[in-house]
Amino acid sequence: MVLELTRDLSYEEKYERFMERIEAGERIEADDWMPDDYREALIRLISMHAVSEIMGALPEKEWTPKAPTLHRKLAIMAKVQDEMGHGQLLLRVAEDLMKPLGKNREDIMQDLFSGRLKFHNVFHMKAPTWGDAGIIAWLVDGAAIITQSMSLNSSYGPYARALQRICAEEVFHAQHGESIILALAEGTEEQRSMLQKSLTEWWPALLMFFGPKSKENVGKSHVNKNIKYKIRTKTNEDLRQEFFNKYIPRIKSIGLEIPDKTIHFDEEKGEWVYEQPDWNEFKKIVTGHGPMSEQRLSLRRDSYQNTRWVRDALASRGKEA
Amino acid sequence: MDQEKSSQFYEEYEVFSKRNQMAPFQHQFSLLAPNREMAMMMAKENFLRREPCVNIWVVKRSDIAGLGEDERQVLTRLDNKKYRETAGYGYLKKKWRQYEQEQFTEKNLLKES
Amino acid sequence: MTFENAETLSQNKEALSACKALLYQLADDDFLLAYRGSEWLGLAPHIEEDVAFSSISQDTMGHAVMFYQLLEELGEGEADRISHLRTPAEFRNAILLEMKNGEGSYVEKPDYDWAFAVVRNLFYDYAKMIRLQSLKSSSYEPLAHMARRIISEEYYHLMHWEMWFRQLMTSTPEARERMEQAIRRVWSDFGGVLTTGPEGKQIAAAGLMESEEVLTERWIQKVSAILNETGFQPEGEPGMKSGNGRTGEHTEDLTEALAILSEVYRKDPAAQW
Repeated sequence: MVLELTRDLSYEEKYERFMERIEAGERIEADDWMPDDYREALIRLISMHAVSEIMGALPEKEWTPKAPTLHRKLAIMAKVQDEMGHGQLLLRVAEDLMKPLGKNREDIMQDLFSGRLKFHNVFHMKAPTWGDAGIIAWLVDGAAIITQSMSLNSSYGPYARALQRICAEEVFHAQHGESIILALAEGTEEQRSMLQKSLTEWWPALLMFFGPKSKENVGKSHVNKNIKYKIRTKTNEDLRQEFFNKYIPRIKSIGLEIPDKTIHFDEEKGEWVYEQPDWNEFKKIVTGHGPMSEQRLSLRRDSYQNTRWVRDALASRGKEA
Repeated sequence: MDQEKSSQFYEEYEVFSKRNQMAPFQHQFSLLAPNREMAMMMAKENFLRREPCVNIWVVKRSDIAGLGEDERQVLTRLDNKKYRETAGYGYLKKKWRQYEQEQFTEKNLLKES
Repeated sequence: MTFENAETLSQNKEALSACKALLYQLADDDFLLAYRGSEWLGLAPHIEEDVAFSSISQDTMGHAVMFYQLLEELGEGEADRISHLRTPAEFRNAILLEMKNGEGSYVEKPDYDWAFAVVRNLFYDYAKMIRLQSLKSSSYEPLAHMARRIISEEYYHLMHWEMWFRQLMTSTPEARERMEQAIRRVWSDFGGVLTTGPEGKQIAAAGLMESEEVLTERWIQKVSAILNETGFQPEGEPGMKSGNGRTGEHTEDLTEALAILSEVYRKDPAAQW
């Protein structure tokens, strides 16, 4: 072969060339050479994102049959289906990255069940009322759009492409959420108090969603590496501030009260000052000790076990064919 | 044992679709399925729930040949090939004007008579 | 004899009441099966199937909504009220379609049976397609029009469930055993889907849909084809082991399902949701 082969280069040369590509804004593809820590960072981020979508479908799914009208039933079914669909897209991206390590979807599922693979704090929470379904669709999805949009131009091509598809659907989700909460906000006294109660319950979890401001809060953090590799472009705090900018005026405009008396925009600092959520609680939740962690995980684990015979049956069928 | 079996359940398929009768097939995404029939049934709803679609292809990924990172070097081309493009024939417009003729553009060359 | 719209139908008391009876059967069948389908979301054999199955459940729920809207036009009240406020005894769906997917619930310890899901859905979609084909020439024109539209979405449902049926019937002995068990179970109650209930004669007489006997015969033919192909034949005629839902006879499964489906709506049916 007359081609210049990557394998003939030293590690340092490969790394240098890789970083040049990153700096030049090129997109890395699944079978390109990449440094191990880039691959690891992607696997960590994307597999967590994938299982968060899948686990995230569960609290809302509790509300699909209960949705109050036929129209709402259909809309929330479509929305939860999209979440599973996003899980599918992201799993595929993560699986292709894990393939050279000899791992596949089965391993991701097992890692989820064993607790090795974490999922977003918000999906460990209870969602006992229809107000919660509204707040999830409006604000949890709103928060997710902010974090996902930041990686629409991610250096990793397959992730960026998956996010393009995902974000296109998130626009529908945002409007679905707005439609639910506006109906409640404009509704009866009981409906309004249902909505306020949900906001109050979910507020700390929404702040935690973006992760801690700096690693002092939780120990290690991968944010800087992800920024260096252009996998993401903003810090956790940037994102949280963006969320405040976008949603605080709206929350207030419909007469809801934010359960933080201290929150205000500091003109001098140019940022929102707010009461920190309990980061110890955050650590507890994401390590699988949240109010619903065990129940939701066992739901997935049990159903995965229950349908194993189906996968085994079709796998062996494929072999004969 | 189970591990081995389930990996055969998880075969990779690439999904392509056509948006309308005239459109070329376009790559959508990939999915896992144990066989072609299943891949086809999954493709439609996983990737084409909203946009219009008139046909779908599913292709087993291992049947696709592509270029690796190094092999993509064969795609490089110098920018000295104006003679292949209309840009290389820009002087004709002026020429035809000397003969009091208008130069055919893409529009009137390809116009159905 | 044709009825152009709700108004002309309303002038014929017998046809009107037969048409309502038929619409409740069609709507409630789809409504309950779509609900059972929605419980599967997140629990299917793989993620790709979760997404595909959910589309089918949404389509089916959408069809139920269309039938409820026809009832609304016939003066039965708003579609949301009809679907959320009736008592179980007022529902006219087949009992087979209200049955739980398996032990446990969709939020806790679901021990759902995929073989039952495949067989129930495939056999139901065969019956539904046969009904819709007949409804294309229904004397009630709005219904005929709607049937033509719904048929276009049924092709995918049928293809999808036929694929699952064929593949599981021809795979491992364990899968085969589970599928045969599911076929026997579905068979023992499928008579409840095929019957057009106490109003069946009037439905046929008013030209709304062909008779139960004709449609049943077509269904047997359709189902026999795929059963023969995969080499299995359940014994006897399709039965009504758990009762006849078309007469308002139902199980605890329906009571539970309706309590969940209407939990929020019932808080305040007058409110905007």
